[in-house]
Amino acid sequence: MENQPVSFREKAHQIFTTVKSVAGKAEAEILLVSRVDEYLRFGNNELAQSQYSTSRNLSVRVASEKKQGRVTTGTLDKASIEKTVEKAIKQARDSPEDPDYLPMPGAQKYRSVDRYSEKTVEAPAEVKAGYIGSAMDLAKKNHLLASGVLGTSVENVMMLNTSGLEASYRGSGGYFSLTMDADNGNQTGFALSTFGDIDELDPNKVSQTVLERAKLNKNQADIAPGKFDIVVDPYAWSEMLLFFAVSASTGYSPDLGMRQYKEGRSYLSGRIGDKILGDNISIDDDVYHPNQAGPPFDGEGCLKSKVSLIENGVFRNPVTSRISQHRYGVVPTGHELPLPNPLGELPTNLVIRGKGATKTPEELIGELDKGLLITRFWYVRETEPRTKTVTGMTRDGTFLVENGEIKRPVKNLRFNQSLLELFGKVDAVSEPVRNFSEFQQFRILQPGILARDFNFTSVSPF
Amino acid sequence: MISTKDLGEELAKISLDLAKRENASYAELRLVNTRSEAITVVNENPASEEASTIGVGIRVLYNNLGWGFADTDELEHESVRETTRKALSLAKGASKLGIKVTRASEPVHVDKWETPVKKDPFRVPTETKYEYLQDTTKRMKENDVVARRGQMTFDFIEKYFANSEGSKIFQTLSCAGVSAIVAAKGPTGVQRRSIQQNTGGGYELVDEMDLPGQALEITKDVLALTRAPTINEGKSDIILSGDQVALQVHESCGHPIELDRVLGYEANFAGRSFLQPDQLGKLQYGSEHVNIVMDATLDHGNGLGTFGYDDEGVKAQRKYAVKNGKFVGYLMSRETAPRVGETRSNGCMRAEYYKLPIIRMTNVSLEPGDWDYDEMIEDTRDGYLMVTNYGWSIDQKRYNFQFNTEKGYRIKNGSIGEMVRGPTYAGITPEFWNSCDAIANKKSWVLWGTPNCGKGQPGQTMITGHGASPSRFRNIRVFGAS
Repeated sequence: MENQPVSFREKAHQIFTTVKSVAGKAEAEILLVSRVDEYLRFGNNELAQSQYSTSRNLSVRVASEKKQGRVTTGTLDKASIEKTVEKAIKQARDSPEDPDYLPMPGAQKYRSVDRYSEKTVEAPAEVKAGYIGSAMDLAKKNHLLASGVLGTSVENVMMLNTSGLEASYRGSGGYFSLTMDADNGNQTGFALSTFGDIDELDPNKVSQTVLERAKLNKNQADIAPGKFDIVVDPYAWSEMLLFFAVSASTGYSPDLGMRQYKEGRSYLSGRIGDKILGDNISIDDDVYHPNQAGPPFDGEGCLKSKVSLIENGVFRNPVTSRISQHRYGVVPTGHELPLPNPLGELPTNLVIRGKGATKTPEELIGELDKGLLITRFWYVRETEPRTKTVTGMTRDGTFLVENGEIKRPVKNLRFNQSLLELFGKVDAVSEPVRNFSEFQQFRILQPGILARDFNFTSVSPF
Repeated sequence: MISTKDLGEELAKISLDLAKRENASYAELRLVNTRSEAITVVNENPASEEASTIGVGIRVLYNNLGWGFADTDELEHESVRETTRKALSLAKGASKLGIKVTRASEPVHVDKWETPVKKDPFRVPTETKYEYLQDTTKRMKENDVVARRGQMTFDFIEKYFANSEGSKIFQTLSCAGVSAIVAAKGPTGVQRRSIQQNTGGGYELVDEMDLPGQALEITKDVLALTRAPTINEGKSDIILSGDQVALQVHESCGHPIELDRVLGYEANFAGRSFLQPDQLGKLQYGSEHVNIVMDATLDHGNGLGTFGYDDEGVKAQRKYAVKNGKFVGYLMSRETAPRVGETRSNGCMRAEYYKLPIIRMTNVSLEPGDWDYDEMIEDTRDGYLMVTNYGWSIDQKRYNFQFNTEKGYRIKNGSIGEMVRGPTYAGITPEFWNSCDAIANKKSWVLWGTPNCGKGQPGQTMITGHGASPSRFRNIRVFGAS
């Protein structure tokens, strides 16, 4: 159990007392989330959008006679909370019975996770503005335009229910995303750094990487599409890897859960024990990894376990929940989404790793005889579910590498590539880093890779 | 209990007075009170959620050099003062790294506006909503069907806006969405068919869409798709369904005409644009048949981009982005309009209260042409009809795109023939729109809604509208999704 600021914990208990008094004999659960976010966003060498945001959110679930209702509010005075519970009771009463309804879980024992950095929370805006000012100065000196964002956030979470469950979490994090470009983006470079503790951020390293890439990435050579060996920078993936756990075929719904697997909705249904990736690739769901983020409990407050999803290329286990335990007699792993949840379980903390020693991203480039270095993927979408084929673009720096050296930039390319095939042809990986995508917040630790036969299908005019 | 409008007036006075005393060049406050509901049935499992939020977003310009934005959901007077001070502090900091801001003028508006709603969704019993969705998913139940989903969503938003120039605007905005998805497994893997529509208004959309009535047809489709052939890679004439044309407009016209992208403010995330200011009035973006409007007025329809005023108090307008194929206009804000020589914003700044308003699409629509849809099919010798989007991707300047659709049909000698699975088309935006030689007429024109447009940092989601009718494009690169 994490240490919470007394006022937040007390507030949660006060709210829960009110909720229980209105809910009467019905089961009740509250999820209270409080956030503070600060973003310094810049473009065209100007600090254009400085934002500071505070929010509190109370979600109340009420259950009675196998019927459930959930109502959420941002207004936390007593009268509003009472009204929220009354609405949830009415909603539960008017809903059909949930065939998967289970009584709320009781008190749990949690493993501790340390996700809170005072420094990140307290970092003055002036210090962060200084990082940005240095990046803009560097860009100006080199006749480039800097744009990007430095964001930090802190989150407090508490969950309580009438069966005696009490779960809490607090965490902090942030990211620094930087582009330098010129000539309407025809010359451009990009780098990203994500952090839990702002001390992990080296803003000068980010700026220098961007500058080097931007200086190199102009007058891009024409290139014919086709299959290329590639090195992917560990921060390049954007939203691409989340398609391991989300499927468009059923409406961008969670995948790799036992319910989806058993119902035949998962792209891996019927394939436990099958070799689906290379021998040297494993994927875990591991909220306890020191670089992961988020609470060690699921959407109904149950303890999360580490799950080996894919071990040495073989699909071993979907994640499970109490509903799967009840339906199929499996051991629950704590991967339920907030209930009622008809979509199934979701692994929320993927860790993608290689076998044996990792290389540095520079070493991966050094081992590429001939191929392309990708510094950023963009706008990735699933096109075919069974092979997990995705399409997308490269952007902000795609470089031809020969004999382990970057030779010249090439125009941006579109790809159509099966993720399963890609991770079946990986020769080497780097240490995983935290994923970040503005499109889809998903906690993935992802490596850079050296891989063969990546399928590019067309080229952009720039 | 105090009304949202009265509370907005009270809080705006506190915030704007404080900003004025602190010498802000400009300040605005939005109080937004939102109620939303989502009812879902997946297979036999029900799920519902109702949410309400209320909060203020305060934006301040200091010394005409730096913007600051802060928001809070604590609405006591002292919290609003503190939030105003935070926005001022950020604006003062930003002014040290900013450049001079020149803003297009806008008349002072004291007004109110309301989305027309025929049937209040919050007065429809929950049981009725569930019966409708359960009826929908029940009709999809067949061997080989692996997922059945029906959903309806409703939003009711009260928004009070005031700025330091004297505008005071109160709007009530309502929108609704319905969708159904069915997925089936067969020899070709998992296939999907879906129906989705989102508009302004209320429960009348649910009645109009008749998901239970359409459930059998999409289930029949999806089962056929699991056995349908794919298509060979090559060049072909294609006819796109209206909902697919709407997404094509969104991605390849709506985004590149956002002036903040053009000026570089989205370079790190959403990207830039191939449509540069020196091409205004000159670039042949599409064929002479292509006319694309940016229209937030109710005359255009009750869409997701229909409102009275945008989130910096600019009145809803109608302007052309593309006229007879020529690129002629951008989506703008008060700050960006002067950068392309315009004297007035066309009212495109939008955001939730807790996000900084940025330029977003309103209703960006392809105007109907003069073709009867059936005659368009009859006039096509050899090609494909492609229906409803499955996946979409486009580069950061909005040139190179690829869309795959859920189902298609071969067209031979003017007749619709064999069904094909996952038909995909790809191209380069201006080449593609210049290949458009037929657009179906008003009878086939629908104002579609996109409920999930992503842009901005931190990421913002916005609702946008896109009118379109089925359209034909010549000699396009096509292939199968797999």
